[in-house]
Amino acid sequence: MRLRIAHSTSYRYEPPASGVIQILRMTPGSHDGQYVAEWQIDVSTDSRLDTHQDAFGNITHVLTYGPIAELTITVEGMIETHDTGGVLRGTDERFPPSLFLRSTPLTGVNPAMAAFARELRSESEDDVLGFLHGLMMQINEHMTFDEDPTNSGTSAVEAFGLKRGVCQDYAHIFIACARSAGVPARFVAGHFLRSDGMVNQQAGHAWAEAFVPDLGWVGFDPANAICTTDAHARVAIGLDYLGAAPVRGTRYGGGMETLTVAVKVDQAGGRQGQSQSQS
Amino acid sequence: MLSRTAENLYWLARYVERAEYLARTIEATQRVTALPNTYIGKTNEWDSALLTAGVSASFYELYEDADERNVVDYLSFSPANPSSIRNCIENARLNSRSVRTALTSEMWDTINGAWIDLQEVWGKGAKTREELAKFLRFVQETSLRFDGSAYRTMLRNDAYWFSRLGLHLERADNTARILDVKYHVLLPEEEHVGGPLDYYQWTSILRSVSALTAYHWVYRETLKPWLIADLLILNDSLPRSLASCYGNLVRNLDQIGVAYGRQGAAQRHARGVRNRLEHSHMDDIFQHGVHEFIQEFIADNGRLGEIITKQYLI
Repeated sequence: MRLRIAHSTSYRYEPPASGVIQILRMTPGSHDGQYVAEWQIDVSTDSRLDTHQDAFGNITHVLTYGPIAELTITVEGMIETHDTGGVLRGTDERFPPSLFLRSTPLTGVNPAMAAFARELRSESEDDVLGFLHGLMMQINEHMTFDEDPTNSGTSAVEAFGLKRGVCQDYAHIFIACARSAGVPARFVAGHFLRSDGMVNQQAGHAWAEAFVPDLGWVGFDPANAICTTDAHARVAIGLDYLGAAPVRGTRYGGGMETLTVAVKVDQAGGRQGQSQSQS
Repeated sequence: MLSRTAENLYWLARYVERAEYLARTIEATQRVTALPNTYIGKTNEWDSALLTAGVSASFYELYEDADERNVVDYLSFSPANPSSIRNCIENARLNSRSVRTALTSEMWDTINGAWIDLQEVWGKGAKTREELAKFLRFVQETSLRFDGSAYRTMLRNDAYWFSRLGLHLERADNTARILDVKYHVLLPEEEHVGGPLDYYQWTSILRSVSALTAYHWVYRETLKPWLIADLLILNDSLPRSLASCYGNLVRNLDQIGVAYGRQGAAQRHARGVRNRLEHSHMDDIFQHGVHEFIQEFIADNGRLGEIITKQYLI
């Protein structure tokens, strides 16, 4: 499937900030189920935009500029995806999977979650994949999708207690539980083509990947209760949201900061073919 | 476009690229063999030239010794060798003639002109080394003119993309073959690493893909085998590296896919190979064996050729 993705992030600083530094993780890489046909980043200022790769192999851009009152970062591109049943192949794996057992402040567990994970784990015995599927379905049932109570700093424990949250919270809970049951898991930031035809979205999507022995990394999207499909475009990975967030940065001076995000994910219409073949 | 037309364009580009590669190989081999034996060791360089061209078996059916005269004759002029330079140019011209209208006049003139020269000037082969040097230059210039004319004059449509597919597939195959035949001199555990033997061998590898200057631009060091392998396998900015060839293959296949509104096995396979190259690190390749890596690549590249043929050319 060919996905056309447009993603714009605008900051307005009032009064103007004297300087900003931001790390953008907005550029996807290719793997066997995903090919980036076109991709570009536009920034509304004449600032420097240095390309690097972070430790996990995410493509990052570092933006520095100031003084500044308004900043808009637009990314646009086209990604060709294939359904691989959630199994990830051809990614740049720089660390042993066990690194992704490491817990972070956003992906800790409390006794209730640990017990919840332990119970599911013992039910499925040696079947790690079965455990992960069960975990995904249980989290999806436990939680109600609600944008209001949580924000980007909400931890897995808080969201689990509230029983409410957005895709990012679902992913954090999934990761926290998988790790506490001894299964390496990581956070994925990306985009999702909604099946209900909603093209305009308020934010990017987030899901999780877990490591299954003999199979490798598998994508689980607990907010939609499915393994990743060709509707998922994978942009960045990290130990949690903070490691994979599209924009992280800091600013000097300034006062109020207003942030607006608009995401558009659409299926690119294939043009009519003009092929003939001789057989 | 008729698949027959696509096939002609694809093979036209392959033959021209192959002719140029053979010319480079002969040139680089001549250079190495001009050195005293103490520098280049006891290996028969002409034999490995045959191996990189993939015609070793058929050569020994006709000749006994792989010496300069026989090998140069077989690789350049022999009508018995299906991929001698002469046959490459003849086949290229045959393919051009059947798709004359899909080519620009500049491309046609280049190929047709080369073919006429081949009969009139080079009909009897090259008698002296000097003549041979002229001939090899003529072949390389034909390829440069052809490639340049295609780049500068062709419409960017499926005709162009198919011709680029042929070029890059052939080029990837050639680079991989050099690495395959020469991998033993690239192995870091070789005892006499850094000796004069290696130095000349490495220089000759780089020359055969015209990357000697590029090497010094990229690494700014003396020749080191793992860096040479890194350059020829993974460096995206070297036009003859495997990574660069696959970058181009993937892009051109994608354009064909978009224009026809259909993706298929060729696109998926090429992307798979490209991803592996993109995410490979030289340390791992050496650890798992350069030889195995290259063998696998040659098999993958051959498979892509088959898939493209099945999907588009028949």
